[in-house]
Amino acid sequence: MTAVRALLVATLLAAACGRSDRITVALAVLPSELPAYRAVVSEWERTSGRRVVLVPQGYGDIRRAIAAEAAAGRGTIDLVELDVYSLATAAAAVRPFDPAALAGLTDALDPAAVRAGSIDGLRFLPHRLSWAALVWDATVLDRPPDTWSDLLAVARAHPGRIGFKGARYEGLTCDVLPFVWSAGGRGDVLDDAGARAAFELFADLAPYLHPDSATFKEPTIAEAMARGELILHLNWPTVMTTYTALGLAPGRLRSAPLPRGPAGRATVLGGAYVAIPRNAPHPDAALALVRWVLGRGVQARLARELGWFSPRTDVPPASDPALAGFVAMRGAVRPRPERPDYAALSRAWQDAFRDVAFHGAPPEAALAAAGHGLRGGRP
Amino acid sequence: MTRPGLAALPLAAWLLVFLAWPAVYAVRLAFTDPAGGAFPSLEPFRALAGDPLFWRAFANNALLPPLVVALEVVGGLALALLLAGRLPARRWLRTAVLVPFALPEVVFLAIARHLLAPRGYLNGVLAGFGVEPTPWLAPGHATAFAAVVLVDAWHTTPIVFLMLLSALAALPREVEQAARLDGAGDVRRFAYVTLPLLAPTLAAAILLRGLDALRIFATPLVLTGVEGVPVLSSYAYHQWSDQGSDGAAAAAGVVLAVLCVLAAIPLLARRSPA
Repeated sequence: MTAVRALLVATLLAAACGRSDRITVALAVLPSELPAYRAVVSEWERTSGRRVVLVPQGYGDIRRAIAAEAAAGRGTIDLVELDVYSLATAAAAVRPFDPAALAGLTDALDPAAVRAGSIDGLRFLPHRLSWAALVWDATVLDRPPDTWSDLLAVARAHPGRIGFKGARYEGLTCDVLPFVWSAGGRGDVLDDAGARAAFELFADLAPYLHPDSATFKEPTIAEAMARGELILHLNWPTVMTTYTALGLAPGRLRSAPLPRGPAGRATVLGGAYVAIPRNAPHPDAALALVRWVLGRGVQARLARELGWFSPRTDVPPASDPALAGFVAMRGAVRPRPERPDYAALSRAWQDAFRDVAFHGAPPEAALAAAGHGLRGGRP
Repeated sequence: MTRPGLAALPLAAWLLVFLAWPAVYAVRLAFTDPAGGAFPSLEPFRALAGDPLFWRAFANNALLPPLVVALEVVGGLALALLLAGRLPARRWLRTAVLVPFALPEVVFLAIARHLLAPRGYLNGVLAGFGVEPTPWLAPGHATAFAAVVLVDAWHTTPIVFLMLLSALAALPREVEQAARLDGAGDVRRFAYVTLPLLAPTLAAAILLRGLDALRIFATPLVLTGVEGVPVLSSYAYHQWSDQGSDGAAAAAGVVLAVLCVLAAIPLLARRSPA
């Protein structure tokens, strides 16, 4: 029995000692992206002498994990990647970066993306950017719709074959906001002229939407497009990587800029940010890894090998023809509205869209009803 | 502590850590105000009460299980009676009946989804007969509800089938032979001999599947998404995953748990020897 106890203690000590040079990173990478990212990180391991444990997880799980570690007062995770949508919720669980420690780095990053990561100080650094564009079927359409009226004409000519990610979730808000912005709306209120114009368009499009639009999310709408049920929808660049792997892009399925509205084009900023949790056991090593990963060489390699859009302004996007539409939208990217009650605002956009598109509600009434609970509809 | 008591300690610790503690935590979460953190609070339940999707989920959770279980019992009994007899290739047929249950649930549901998609196999076959495509899984259509009932029943009927098939094999032959000698026809023998003898197994199948059907989750979620045919478990998942509202998710879970307990009481009462 004594021997067993001694062995147990020795094993625990060995594990504890072994952990001192190991840093744990929770990332929301796809299984197909992990080997390439792993290869990139292994170079840093060689130069730093530290071992990096990459834990691929969903954004929601990462956010809950760091919240739990913050509540517990001690942690095991050194670096996390979070969806831009969850930054405000996760802010209390991560530590602000020391501006001096990031000297020279933040200047090279997209200023709007850096601004989106600043919540009571710079707590999140953009790791990879993403934004929505149009995905269209070149075997059915000669060219993608360039304006709202083109979009409506396509919808009328092909009833049931255009889709929105209409499930009640953040993805729907990301489909709605570009239209509100392209009509001159602010996006943080539901009662301006831009919002009304966008919702008039949604009401016109409603009879021609794919019947499953009310439940579509990213994977299901992409699947319907691959099956040939849809001829266009809005999605993120990752969908083109999948289509390319399936041999559907850039031949049959292509990307294009979102249709131009009365006030131009706009799309919503997505992507992932890195942060160091409040109770990270090795914050200095995590910071060194952040600096390395956001360096120009590594970012160029990630763009080339994984098709990621870098937050660095000096790293051009990969020259992948499947991503041409996304690249063309880069200048029209906008961050989501900054409101303390953003989750409620987002839910209001979702409810208003669903009322108009799936329940036949008049746009103005739907917007008024959805905005009712939002502190008078204004921030 | 006695030796059996010591042996039970790991199990007790396991149940405490992985069952009791999460359950207590979830109940506490369901009664905590998400805004201020005040406990106890009915705020998460107020949020549910104001959400039309919750009420649709609640209604579906009350409607779906009886329909699914009724189909499973009728289908499972019919298949068991058919395949208990001396049919040619009955082993192959029994295997074919079991295939839907043998497949991993997500694989089975992905197949069903491809079958029922607007450009799926079913509409393809119908198009061959000149029938217009039907949006089987479209939200708001009665066909979506019917599809969930049929697909879920299809997936789990093999459980009832297996239970009844083994019960049929164990029935005493003498009773049936006596009824036959007394001149009872097939229908009367089934109604007055076979069915009463199968009653305990049928009751067990209804109890088992009835409680399990209340927790229906993957079938409506994979086939129709959260909004198509919502049920309480998919609604809780939606609140947790899509809306980040852990409190509302826990409250929906508490409602489902209460529903399960309320349903179990009469079912268990009928099963008791008294």
